[in-house]
Amino acid sequence: MTPRLDTIRECLEGVIPGHIATCDAEGIPNLAYLSQVQFIDNEHVALSYQFFNRTRQNILAHSPVRLMLTSHLTGAQYRLTLAYLRTETAGPLFEQMKAKLAGIASHTGMSEVFRLLGSDVYRILAIEQVPGPTVAPPPPVVNYLTALRRATGRLAGCGNLERLLETALDCLGSEFGISHVMLLMHDEGRGRLYTLASRGYPQSGIGSEIPVGAGVIGICARERIPIRIGFMTSEYGYGRTIRDGVEADGQGDSLETAIPLPGLPEARSQMAVPITAFDRLLGVLYLENVADLNFGYDDEDALVAFAAQLGLAMHHHQEAEELVEDAPGVEGSTPAPAGPPLLVRHFAANDSIFIDDDYLIKGVAGAILWTLLTDFVERRRTGFTNKGLRVDPRIRLPSVSDNLEARLVLLQRRLEERAAGIHLKKTGRGRFSLSVDRPLQLVSG
Amino acid sequence: MLDSDNAAFILTGVSISLASCNPGRLPSMSRGLGCKLIDDGRQVTIFLRRSQSEALLENIRSSGGRVANVFSLPSSNRTLQLKGSNARIVPFAAEDIAVIDGHIADFVLEVVPLGMSEAVVRAILAYQPDDLVSVVYSPSAAFSQTPGPKAGAPLG
Repeated sequence: MTPRLDTIRECLEGVIPGHIATCDAEGIPNLAYLSQVQFIDNEHVALSYQFFNRTRQNILAHSPVRLMLTSHLTGAQYRLTLAYLRTETAGPLFEQMKAKLAGIASHTGMSEVFRLLGSDVYRILAIEQVPGPTVAPPPPVVNYLTALRRATGRLAGCGNLERLLETALDCLGSEFGISHVMLLMHDEGRGRLYTLASRGYPQSGIGSEIPVGAGVIGICARERIPIRIGFMTSEYGYGRTIRDGVEADGQGDSLETAIPLPGLPEARSQMAVPITAFDRLLGVLYLENVADLNFGYDDEDALVAFAAQLGLAMHHHQEAEELVEDAPGVEGSTPAPAGPPLLVRHFAANDSIFIDDDYLIKGVAGAILWTLLTDFVERRRTGFTNKGLRVDPRIRLPSVSDNLEARLVLLQRRLEERAAGIHLKKTGRGRFSLSVDRPLQLVSG
Repeated sequence: MLDSDNAAFILTGVSISLASCNPGRLPSMSRGLGCKLIDDGRQVTIFLRRSQSEALLENIRSSGGRVANVFSLPSSNRTLQLKGSNARIVPFAAEDIAVIDGHIADFVLEVVPLGMSEAVVRAILAYQPDDLVSVVYSPSAAFSQTPGPKAGAPLG
């Protein structure tokens, strides 16, 4: 029986290098080792093109191609017959392979040597298992179908965006066994991603930012494809070094750098999965682990399927919060807070907010908070609606597609995390209230 | 063709692969279980499992003995490719079992520290003595294939 490629994908991870055999026009064979084979589908693979060597010359001279792959889990060997189709030098496939190759290069001491020049795409004509003994693979850590079934069921039961995000991260831990994860939202207008939730880190990093295109997370967002790296590589860090580079490029004024990104300094395995809905990028799930090769193709498939469910649910809740509006509840008169005033300072240049001289947030979330606090102080207003904020000229929301509800969740969490004494609370669909522990003193500039 | 350094290199715990093409230029390849030098180092003998190498052996016969042979040391990525055009298939000599067993032991010592499972490595290189066959050829060209800008450069 011919094995399906999707059942033997561990052979493609680069633990045991593949062998590629070609033939020149005179019938002289050539044999070389391969760093990387990328699964595209059951009929196609891509091989890394790194050097213009004899293999490359033979392929361009229409050589038939044989590939030998070996499973590092079972010892099974496979021979694949391939036909070259094309070379891609940019785009999602290229970026996936480039990132993965960076990990492999680093792992094999080849960081200065391996550089992806292209992704050679081949059609698979045949797969043959080489006769010989094999060992039983280690049992899977997780049954992904069960995890997906349970997780999507739990997502479906969430009544609002905040609950949805909490449940999503809970599911990644309890159903998928993932211990370090961040959820970042896409700020389309500014070409940024901001952390909205995380698990497994000493500091949540809520509000921290990374530019689209930077590191594993940023490239995942730009290309809207999963990026997965199995070995530690400095080339694809996502932390402070990347942000330092961005600041040096002169973009730093708009990037949130006061809030540190969470992250494992010793992460060896990284995976970023885009969250999309209806062709729009909503955010990125980022997972990491200190072990080599912790995430494989099956993990990637499961997380992509999970992210698809999550994306649709996020889209639904965002729409619902802005289109539907519950009737206002009866607002009881709350006693005016007592005690020394809380000094809230706003800098209009970047909408940054400081509370008692401690930095809280900036940007759109800062503008939202300043608007709420101004209305609270000037008009004793405590009830607000998403619809109202959307059209409020003081906030200047980037566009209708911007996820306002996500920004409210960010603001609410940041306030709670800083124990700022200012609270936002949902009071119904599309509706929330503001309360304060102490009197406010607002200062501009 | 094979200097003493490379001659010594192919006898260490390297991974070995041998390829040959059919008349339609379609190659096939198999893992070697070790090698030895004969004829004062002018000829290389590669040990194969016949059951894993049917197409390769047929290609060697039909191509008049054109082979490509790669040796690579996983810990250093040092890689050497030899080519030959007079390969012939000869019966396996029983005394060469010791060469194979020595090679497997060397290879296990090479890759287990890199994180490979010993059981998997031994499965990849497992053999039945009556399944073994030898291929002998004189290297006519040698190329360094250690990854890098000089990969593919002819040696000697």
